[in-house]
Amino acid sequence: MLQADAQEKVAGSLHDPAADTLPKLLVRNAALRPARPAFRHKHLGIWQSWTWAEVADEVRALAAGLAARGVGRGVKIAIVGQNRPRLYWAMAASQWLGAVPVPVYAESVADEMAYVLDHAEVTHAVVEDQEQVDKLLSVGERLGRITALLYDEPRGLRAYDDPRLESLAQVAAAGRDRLGRNPEAAAALDEALAAGRGSDLSVILYTSGTTGRPKGVMLTFDNVIRAGEIGCAFDKLDETDEIIAYLPIAWVGDHIFSYAQAIIAGLCVSCPESPDTVVEDRREIGPTYIFAPPRVFENILTLTTVRMEDASALKRRLYRYFLDHARRVGEPILNGERVGLLDRVVYALGDALVYAPLRSRFGLSRVKVGYTAGEAIGPEIFRFYRSIGINLKQLYGQTEASVYVTMQPDGEIRADTVGRPAPQVEIRLDPSGEVLYRSPGVFAGYYKDDAKTAETKTADGFVRSGDAGFLDTTGHLKIIDRAKDVGRLSDGSLFPPKYVENKLKFYPNIKEAVAFGDGRDCVACFVNIDLVAVGSWAERSNVTYGSYQELAADPRVAAIIREHVDEVNRSLAAEPRMGGAQIRRFLILHKELDADDGELTRTQKVRRGFIAERYAPLIAALFDGSREADIRTEVTFEDGRKGVIAARLAVHDMEPHPVAAAPELEIAA
Amino acid sequence: MDILYKIAVDPFVQMAGAPDLLAQTVWEGRVSGVLYSLIALGFVLIFKASGVFNFAQGIMVVFAALTLVGLAEKGVPAYLAHLLTLAVMLLLAIGIERVVLRPLVNQPDIILFMATFGLTYLLIGFGELVFGGSPKQMITTELGLPRGSVDLPILGGLVSLQKIDIAAAVIASVAVAALAVFFQRTRIGRALRAVADSHKAALSVGISLNQIWVVVWFTAGIVALATGIMWGARSEVSFALEVIALKALPVLILGGLTSVPGAIVGGLIIGVGEKLGELYWGPLVGGGIESWLAYIIALAVLMIRPQGLFGEKIIERI
Amino acid sequence: MRAPDGPLIVKGDVILAVENVSLAFGGVKALTDVTFDIQKGEIRAIIGPNGAGKTSMLNCINGFYHPSEGAILFKGERRPKMRPSAAARGGIARTFQNVALFKGMTTLDNIMAGRSLKMHRGLFWQALRAGPAMREEIAHRRVVEEIIDFLEIQAIRKVPVGKLPYGLQKRVELGRALAMEPEILLLDEPMAGMNLEEKEDMCRFILDVNSEFGTTVALIEHDMGVVMDLSDRVVVLEYGRKIADGTPAEVKRDERVIAAYLGQPHA
Ligand SMILES: Nc1ncnc2c1ncn2[C@@H]1O[C@H](COP(=O)(O)OP(=O)(O)O)[C@@H](O)[C@H]1O
Ligand SMILES: [Mg+2]
Repeated sequence: MLQADAQEKVAGSLHDPAADTLPKLLVRNAALRPARPAFRHKHLGIWQSWTWAEVADEVRALAAGLAARGVGRGVKIAIVGQNRPRLYWAMAASQWLGAVPVPVYAESVADEMAYVLDHAEVTHAVVEDQEQVDKLLSVGERLGRITALLYDEPRGLRAYDDPRLESLAQVAAAGRDRLGRNPEAAAALDEALAAGRGSDLSVILYTSGTTGRPKGVMLTFDNVIRAGEIGCAFDKLDETDEIIAYLPIAWVGDHIFSYAQAIIAGLCVSCPESPDTVVEDRREIGPTYIFAPPRVFENILTLTTVRMEDASALKRRLYRYFLDHARRVGEPILNGERVGLLDRVVYALGDALVYAPLRSRFGLSRVKVGYTAGEAIGPEIFRFYRSIGINLKQLYGQTEASVYVTMQPDGEIRADTVGRPAPQVEIRLDPSGEVLYRSPGVFAGYYKDDAKTAETKTADGFVRSGDAGFLDTTGHLKIIDRAKDVGRLSDGSLFPPKYVENKLKFYPNIKEAVAFGDGRDCVACFVNIDLVAVGSWAERSNVTYGSYQELAADPRVAAIIREHVDEVNRSLAAEPRMGGAQIRRFLILHKELDADDGELTRTQKVRRGFIAERYAPLIAALFDGSREADIRTEVTFEDGRKGVIAARLAVHDMEPHPVAAAPELEIAA
Repeated sequence: MDILYKIAVDPFVQMAGAPDLLAQTVWEGRVSGVLYSLIALGFVLIFKASGVFNFAQGIMVVFAALTLVGLAEKGVPAYLAHLLTLAVMLLLAIGIERVVLRPLVNQPDIILFMATFGLTYLLIGFGELVFGGSPKQMITTELGLPRGSVDLPILGGLVSLQKIDIAAAVIASVAVAALAVFFQRTRIGRALRAVADSHKAALSVGISLNQIWVVVWFTAGIVALATGIMWGARSEVSFALEVIALKALPVLILGGLTSVPGAIVGGLIIGVGEKLGELYWGPLVGGGIESWLAYIIALAVLMIRPQGLFGEKIIERI
Repeated sequence: MRAPDGPLIVKGDVILAVENVSLAFGGVKALTDVTFDIQKGEIRAIIGPNGAGKTSMLNCINGFYHPSEGAILFKGERRPKMRPSAAARGGIARTFQNVALFKGMTTLDNIMAGRSLKMHRGLFWQALRAGPAMREEIAHRRVVEEIIDFLEIQAIRKVPVGKLPYGLQKRVELGRALAMEPEILLLDEPMAGMNLEEKEDMCRFILDVNSEFGTTVALIEHDMGVVMDLSDRVVVLEYGRKIADGTPAEVKRDERVIAAYLGQPHA
């Protein structure tokens, strides 16, 4: 009964033509559910919280203050920092005034940040703290347009004398003061709110892209709100839900899940104390809804695996036994399939002893739905979470779609597909296998780049995803790889690099892998070891090492990786069409691939082209049969200083497994 | 074959045959175990805070009991005698800090250990001088401690518990709980733990080592008084009591020099172990094994866990 | 906050004066006739080759050692046999070359221990965690939380410090010293054994402490880059004697300093 009520309320709030912008919805929340918690932030060890009424009041004051500092329709305002309530409020306050927030990755180095701010013609910047202020000031000349630099955390900034600097608290206080004394200002503010339209530009999200400079994806309020509504309705989110906001605010995932959907459904957003405390904060909050790229799930699992290696023998035995059991029956139970009584009893016991403690350790005890997106997740990792009773699903989305393209409905969840087209989304495949989609969330265009927009959006409103995939017989979409990345070996066999890499990355010891083979006669790859997992192995085995480089070069580590590669080859060999993509040679890189060195994107995706260029001598060695290769690489430290590291790496040969014969049926197809 | 049977089977047959006797023995063992625990606790406190292995802990027990009884004999009312004894223990702590610890700070541990030897003989001499060398009766009634026994008709027999032993167990538990609260929750408790971890760090944040030493030795003195009262109530108060201090040694081996829970559990194991050994295995060698069995038990445990029962796992890092 | 006892000292005044200090361990002379001063509000570096007597100097300042000759004046007061606890009470806090933490305690308790001198409530209330002691505990906890936030160590709040990597231990140790709200902070090689990123963080913390709270800092450091960036004035020791004293630029040009560093390259 309660459920139905809540649904009705959500449904009722969803199609509200009067509330066609996020700030209007925010004001509506303050009227509809004034006392419900809207935001939480852990500060000085204590969770502070704000109700919707308080948030609306803060945003209003901030808007008044910003207006007095020249923020108005069309102004672009950068938002830089970790997830903090005030940064989200600044976003809402800008939108209130018709200005367009441009969230920027807090981790960006000064140069990247300068590019985005310059390209977006930003005139105002709201930043988290001194670190970001320093970064912006360090590229001062390139940002001559900036007239106001507002910060959330005043520490360390007292001695700065740049006249553009001011704290957000001051801006809000000034705004509140102005509203109190000046009724005209208050009226103007109400007018500004009312003037907003669904078709207005609401945000520009710069996508890191795997190639070239970032592009500014323009989303309107209609895009963001209608996409958010799709998500809220699909998973029945309402004001009782809780999420924790810890992913970069410049990522569309965070923008839709932690910001837009929170305002649409009226749910509560919790901001962690610091990026390092997310796991514990999550445990304290117990979110009901989570969204994360596969990497987050991989990390949690790796940490657990490592911890279990150090646990007592009894605990390890229990853990193994029950996880094996969960692997067999956990998913069927979660999917509501028929499972024998004995298996259910053992599973219930495992739940009490292992699964529930694990879920609670991960902070996932209360999760009703969790999504992984942004990249393919290793099937074993995906199944692991589902098998211990966490309703993890896959979702395929893009910034250009305001996230949602396909989703997995309950009961149709599989590790190897990303689900059916989401409600109101149409999918089309072009002859080359590229996936195209059309939906209410489809973006307005790339900011100041009509050529690119025309290239990506078809005349009939479909967007080229750039991903290769196909719909299987059940109507589920399968993504193989980036369309332009799927290659062929010289003998014509298929080579989907990501598919191979993901298989490798399933092993906790392997942090990153980059496979090469397009146009070559075989597949070869780079492997990055995982310092946590391999380091813990080293400690247990009394292997001493002074640095990452030393550990990576240890022959015993190479032996471990060789085993993993061999297992991957065996599984590739078992699939007739993939058998040709077995890894014939590999080497272990001497340094971690790093976004600061341009090797990964800010969302930690491998930048294949860049890596191929940077490590050309290593690639040459992989394919010319050498046993060793020398490499010198320049590395960038956090402050922009550069250094060089040199290494001699061993190249390892692998014996391929015989490829399984293709079944008749497939040949016919 | 026969001897194996007598060692490995027969005692257990006896235990199963007369569970009431077994229960009685375990109880008795537990009672002396509590006292061993308390003495070991005194050792541990001092060792943790000042790194001194206090050979005089045993004699402090006697000294405290003697002072109490001596004062009572001189006609001082029991509660007042009690307070005065506490005051004496405080003075003793202050004196030790001033005269022994402060001048010897930064000297090798062995010097401090030798100093506690000196302290032992000083206390014996001083005690005999003031209170005389003859054994005395503990002022049990005056202190309001119960007498008599409770007989439980269980396990097909009668298990008899001395009320004074029950009181001892209760007092010991309360004392340990109070110490735990003191260590965990108070500023001085935190300071004590700090000193136990690192002297120079504790000094640098303004913790006064001298003050901590007085507190610790005084706490050890209080524990000694409690031990003395209870031990004295079961036998008599004389310097012969000193031998029980020797029992604390295997307890420390077992529990580790720095572990409070180790001292408590170790004491109970030794107490119960030696009583059972004496009764069931003693006859095999003609009795009298109680005096050295404790060491055998301690060594046996060490073979399995070299770091002692609760000692921190020693991990060698390269 | 407590009113400062003794004369009022403002920025730029001498807060600590070392006058002709000598220190000997048996035959070894660790310090010989060293004289220099530290002004309120400055960051003062003490540099020199290994074994030059830098740590011994700090040990004299906070009362671990007592000079065999000469005197140390803190806020104009001469206290010949000052004990470490008295130094702490007077507002001198320090960290150690080889971290000295309470290894069995958590980060929180370690920093809380830095508040030892500032807690006054009776044992009874503390044991009960009630009444005035509770309020006091909360107030101190707040200060400690500010420090945790400042040093960005929220994630290790409840971790026993013995389990932390070295760089973080050094940070906790700084936190403990800060919890004393010192007037002068003695840091013995705060960046030794750290990687570049950790060093940068530590530099930032030291600068922020100095500028935000006006805390005077005396710092021993080997990394010349760090010394040049951080310090207002530098005193150079060699074989227990002062061989130079001045701004980083002056000291860098000094021939004896160059000779000392070339003659005996530091680790
Ligand atoms: N407690 C001590 N006992 C004996 N010699 C000491 C002691 N402390 C320092 N020294 C000696 O004093 C000299 C200076 O040492 P130190 O102050 O640690 O130098 P620095 O910190 O500059 O490397 C060294 O020769 C050292 O061996
Ligand atoms: Mg030194």
